[in-house]
Order: sequence, then C-alpha cells, then structure tokens
Amino acid sequence: MNIVVLIVIFLLMFLVRSSFLAPFINPGFSPSVAIGFTLIFAFLIGKRINRLKLPQITGFILAGIFCGPYVLKFLSIKDVQSLQLLDGLALSLIALTAGGEMRISQLKRDRKAILLILLFQTVIIVAGFMLFGLVGRSLFPFFANRTLAQGMALSLLLGTLATATSPSTTIAVITESRAKGKYTDLILSTAVVKDFIVICLFAFNLSFARFLNFPGQSFDAGFIVSILEEVGISVLLGAGVGGAIILYLKYIKTETAIFILGIAFFTYQISRSLGYHPLLICLVAGFLVENFSSRGESLIVAIEKVSLPIYVVFFAISGASLDLNALEQSWLLALVFVLLRGVLKFSGTYVGAKAAKEEKGVQKKSWAGFISQAGVALGMAVIIEGTFPEWGREFKALVLAFIAINQVIGPVLLQRLLVKMNEAGKKGSGLDIRQ
Amino acid sequence: MKAILVFGLIVLIAFLGSRIFFKRKKAFLPLSYFFFSGLVYIFLGLLLGERGLGILSSGVLQDLSPLVSLGLGWIGFLFGFQLELKYIRKFPRKYIGLSFLQYLIIVVLVGAVLAVVLAYLFPSQPSFLLYGMAVALGLFISLNSPSLLNFASPLIPQKGDYYHLARFLVSVSGFWGVCGLAIIASFWHFPSLESQVIVKGLIFVLALVLFPLLMGYMFHFLTLKKVPEQDLLVYLLGLVFFTSGVAAYFNLPSLFICMVLGLTFSNLTRVQEKIYPLLLSTEKPFTIIFLILVGALWEFNLDTRVVFLVALLLLLRVAGYTLPLSPLGRILRFSYPLPSVFGFCFQSSGGIAVAFIVSLKLIYQLPLTDVFVSVALIVTILSEILSPWPLKGVLVKLDTKK
Repeated sequence: MNIVVLIVIFLLMFLVRSSFLAPFINPGFSPSVAIGFTLIFAFLIGKRINRLKLPQITGFILAGIFCGPYVLKFLSIKDVQSLQLLDGLALSLIALTAGGEMRISQLKRDRKAILLILLFQTVIIVAGFMLFGLVGRSLFPFFANRTLAQGMALSLLLGTLATATSPSTTIAVITESRAKGKYTDLILSTAVVKDFIVICLFAFNLSFARFLNFPGQSFDAGFIVSILEEVGISVLLGAGVGGAIILYLKYIKTETAIFILGIAFFTYQISRSLGYHPLLICLVAGFLVENFSSRGESLIVAIEKVSLPIYVVFFAISGASLDLNALEQSWLLALVFVLLRGVLKFSGTYVGAKAAKEEKGVQKKSWAGFISQAGVALGMAVIIEGTFPEWGREFKALVLAFIAINQVIGPVLLQRLLVKMNEAGKKGSGLDIRQ
Repeated sequence: MKAILVFGLIVLIAFLGSRIFFKRKKAFLPLSYFFFSGLVYIFLGLLLGERGLGILSSGVLQDLSPLVSLGLGWIGFLFGFQLELKYIRKFPRKYIGLSFLQYLIIVVLVGAVLAVVLAYLFPSQPSFLLYGMAVALGLFISLNSPSLLNFASPLIPQKGDYYHLARFLVSVSGFWGVCGLAIIASFWHFPSLESQVIVKGLIFVLALVLFPLLMGYMFHFLTLKKVPEQDLLVYLLGLVFFTSGVAAYFNLPSLFICMVLGLTFSNLTRVQEKIYPLLLSTEKPFTIIFLILVGALWEFNLDTRVVFLVALLLLLRVAGYTLPLSPLGRILRFSYPLPSVFGFCFQSSGGIAVAFIVSLKLIYQLPLTDVFVSVALIVTILSEILSPWPLKGVLVKLDTKK
C-alpha cells in the first residue's frame, strides 16, 4: 500500500508544481509544501530501499537527489536553502547518539586492537590521500586548478573525511543482522571511537587547512595552541552540556525530547558562532551521559523519539543540495577516491590488527566493516563548504558522491562480513533499530 | 543565522513556558486561566516583533513562515481529530441542531449589525470588503473554546445535563465556523476573484474537501499495518506540513483543510490511542511557538474605531449567546429549560479563534485586514480574561437547581 501512497504524493507534488495551476497560487513560495513532501516521499523511498537490504538513509539521499533542483525540480534551490536550517540540529543529534553509544567497559576490553587499528587506519588513509594529492595534481583538474598549499589543504581534509566511518549505519546493520560476537564488538567500538577521533582530528586539520589555504599566514606555535584551545574548550563545553543533560534527566525528567532538541540546537548554533566544534561538544556530552550517569538510556530514547523526521529531511536535503553539474565533472575522481579509500582501509586495518596480534580473520576481513559513511562525514563536508567558499561547494559535491557510493556498498559489505564470520543472527531476538 | 537563533530562543521559551503556564492552577481565577490558555504568548510575540524589540523582524518572520503554516495545520488537525462520529452520535440530535442554530444566529446577528456599523466607520472602503469583514467577524464570534470548560471541570462538583450540553457545544462549535471560513475563502479566492466566481468557488470548495480526504485516506493506508511511533511522527508531520503547505500555496485556509484531514483520519483509523499521546506531547510547544509568531505578526492598532468595534463585539457575543437560548430550547424540545444565563458558558474563544484570525490574515492581504486582526485578537484576549468569571457560578447553579 505504501507504493500507492508514494505514487499519489508524487503526482500531487507534480500537480502542485505544474504551470497548469500557476494562476491560482500565492506568489510567495511555500516551504511547508517542500518540508511535507520531502518527509513523506524520502521516508517511503527509504523504506523501499531498505527492502533491498540497503540502509534507509541511502533512500533519503536518493529521494533528495531525484526531487531536488537538478533533476525533477520539485524542491527549488530556495526551498533547499530554507530547509538547511535543520543541518545543525541533525548533526548534533547524531554526535550525541554516537557519544551515547561509547561504553568505557567495552573500550577497556578491546582497547589495544581498537587503538592500533584506529592509528594505522588514520595515518595510512590521511598519508595516502595527501600523497595522492601531490602525485595526482596534474591528472585531475580538481587539484590542478589549486595552488600547492590549497591542494595540500584539500587532500588533508579529504583524507580526514575518508577516515570516517558511520557509527549509526554500523549500529543499524548490526542490529538488523542480529549480530553478536568478537567482530561485531570490535567493529562497533572502533566505529564509535573513531567518530570521536575523527571529529578531534577534523578540528585540528580544519584549522591547519585554513592556515594552508589562506596565504600570508605564517605557521607558529601559537597556531597549535589555538587549536588545542579550541578543542580543549569544546571538550569542556561538552562536559558542561553533558552535565546539564544529566541534571535535567535526573531531576526534571519531563519533556525530555523537547529539551534534548533545544540543547542540540543551541549547542550547534552558539558553538559555531563562537568558533568551537559543535560535533565534538555533543560527542563528549553524549559520552559523559552514557558513562558517568545512569541516564544514558533515557538520552538515547529521547533522541530516538524525535530524531527520525529531522534525519529524513537532513539526508534528503543533503541529496537535494548535491550540485549535479559539479558532480558531472568529478564523478571519475569520486570513483577513484572510493577505490583508493578501500585499499587504504584494508592496509590500515591489516597493519593495525597485525600489530595488535589479532587473529588472521580480523586482519584480513574486518576492513569491510569500516566502509559506510554518513552523518558525520556529511556534516564535515557542510562545515568545509562554509569555511572555504571558493572551493567548498565543489568539494562538497565530490564528497557527497564519494559518501553516497560508500554508503551504498558499506552496509552490504558489513552485512556479508557478519554472515561470513558466523556472527549474524546470534542475538536471541530481533530488535527494530528505532524501537 | 539570526532566524535560526531566534527560532531556538522561541523553542526554549516554548519549552519553559509549557512547563510553567500549562500547569493546572488550583485556584480558579480568570488570570490563571489566561495563563493556562497560553494567550499571554501573543504579548511576548508583540514584544519580540518589529513593533517591540525588533528581534522577530519581517525577514525573520518570512524565514519562520513554515512554522505559522504548521501551527495552523496542527491546530486544525487536532481539532478535526477530536471529531469522531461514533462519539458525536452518542449525543442527542437536538444537541447538533442547537449547535448549528446558535452558529447561524451569531453569524447573522453579528454580520448584519457589523455590515451597517462598518459602512459607517469606514465609508471609503468598497462594500464587498465591508460585508466580507462583517461575515468574517460573525464567524469568528461563533467559535468557542473547550479549554475553559476543561480548565474549570475539576471545580464543578456536580456535572449534570447543563455541563455535558455546554461541553458538547463548545467542542463542535468550531466546526461550523471553520467550514464558514472555507466557504468564504473559496468564493472570495484571491488572486482569481475577477470572473466566474460561482464556478471557481464551487471548484475550490470541492478541492478543499477532496484533497484532505485523499490525504486522510493516505494516512490511514500508511498506518494500516503496525507502525513504530517514530514512523507515525514522520507521517503525521509530513502530511500536516504538506497539506497545510499546499493550502497556503493556493491561498486557501490551512485550518479547514487540516481539520478535514484530522476528521477523515480519526474516523478511519484504529490507532487513535497511539496518535493522542503524540499530539498531546507536541501540542503545547507548537501552540506556544504559534502564538508568539502571531503576536509578532500583529500590526497592533488601538484607535477609537477599533475600541468601539471591540466593545460592540463583546456585547453582541453576550446577546447572541444568551437571548435566543430559551426559544431555541423550546423549538428543539429540550426536556429541561435553557435559561439565558446558560449562554455565559460560551464566551471564550481560545486557540481555534486565533488560528481563524491568522488564516484570514494570510489569505487576505487587504486594506482592512489589520483592523480585523486587531479587533479579533483584542476580543479574544478580553474574552479569555472575562469569560471565566460567570462560568463556574452558572454551571454549578444550573446543575444543582436541576
């Protein structure tokens, strides 16, 4: 029956946007139509995609691309801009959830493997991308049009982005597969810890890229101090926000969903306007609530209660804002990056697992669990777009293409890995990820 | 950026406010009801708006326009959702008859008096505009709010026939008024007013009913199978946004269209028990955000004509609800008398009236629109302050006497 609703809502939107009804419309545009249509259409597409064993967010992104200003034009550029109001809110909620999924006990048990895999993945991927930026400069116009310093800044940020894995997708696939076991724990913990590391690394590298990109600035020790200051204050602010959430969940308890929405919204907007790192703040806050209070479960439940509509619009608008004209010119490079990332992920995981003296299977196969990319990487692309206006838009288009491909193949690879390692279906009962 | 921060500020105020003011006060005082109704947020909006601190400037309000549309749609949906036919059928038919006759009398009385008075007060305005405003004010006065009775309910020890009749009437009166709004908006549709008014009007009436009916059926189909609460929220928000957005896009009343959506869905679905908590948990913050934005949009005007019209409307309201009750009771053969004082139970306007005012403002950007908004909002605010005074006394006295 959902397919009927999908077709009807599509036809209605087609009718609404057609010139046939133009004499009757209000000359002012109506973003409510865009929000409503995006919510229903993207959500139903996500559900259909989910039946093909792909994550729903891939469906949301595809729906956004399809209905966006470059294909069907159901959503105009103005609509897309007005709906980007939700970006910060969605990113904060994702970071809060990621922090809330990190448990100290699990981290302690697998700490050696997690740290070494993380270290080698990060170093190898970032170094690999920087090397590619240097070597491939003359081959791709995307790099060739930049100065050496800009090219380095770009490669550094690409490498940082390529390191990221989506914990939310990872969690979703693991839950759907009812997986349990060594691989499952290791991949989940590493993905979540990596989220934290990548956000910190991103904060450092973004500042460094800013220094590289804007000529005339000299590198001095004060620069590092200011980065440390930004990260340090962000961590402290995260502790403050986490403390406030704990106190609220402990003493007030009511209307938690609205409170969390308000906190996420303000944290993002205020910290961004002050120059701190909203994702890091929310990640630390979520981590604190989970590990230093008994309210972690309440936090996750409160977020899950209200986050779905926000995520649907966020991912769909991310798809709709994808500049297909820019993508047309850089699809080859996006594909090359996906392959490069895959090779570097394998190398990093192999070396890390070997150094941690993990078994052969972990060394050779667990890389497949780290391919998916979504919210945090998308969020980074949005921030980069805002920080480097001269090439940020093109960069974001490239990264979105890159993420979209990873997001399609990542969950499939992870699911196959879990089946192959005989960990899928080991959990007693299935649990709907959103229940 | 400013819009985003202001939106955040409003959400925070809404959140804190919902905790402070929506708590039921033990004492039954008119002012505590005024806070309970949330109308105090209109003043906050006025303060934050362009005429006050200027935080909610016209640019910011334009950015936040989806929230106004959503607010209207949400109020309409909530109202329509409560109109379950199986529940309404339990009441005697004469209750429905009384409700409709009350509505007709108010609209005719207020419309006729104001058509004359407005022509005198605004002689330079075209007559079609003055008649339109007179009818609109009549429809506005016909709207009642069930909130006051809900608020007063614990203070009325003996809930007899009068209490139940009053509760029924205030619950359904909005239906007639909102239908009237839809008819006006269809036949006085802008920007296509020039020709074939009747044909176009009928087409719009048809569209206004069929479109939300279709959306209501779609909502029902989506929820036929077991649906998690989060999915339900996506469907609910998506359909209300889309339906109210389409209405705004075509200059039609979101309030009516979403009321029909709510009514259709409510009478089809079997998941009411899942929807109610969802609606209740979101109602308070949505209402407060909506009221703040209404205050900010208000071009406050208090000249002598406005003051005169406010006083006249308050008097007409009292007269229209009290005087015809006895004869109506006899005509409809009520088994107990309907004394005039019973009409004092219908003096409160509430949130539905505010939504009605905003709907009209959004549809008609005409010379007298701001006068209409000022008069109607001041009447609403004064009604919420004054109406609790006689209510408890009247109901307790009538039910005890009976």
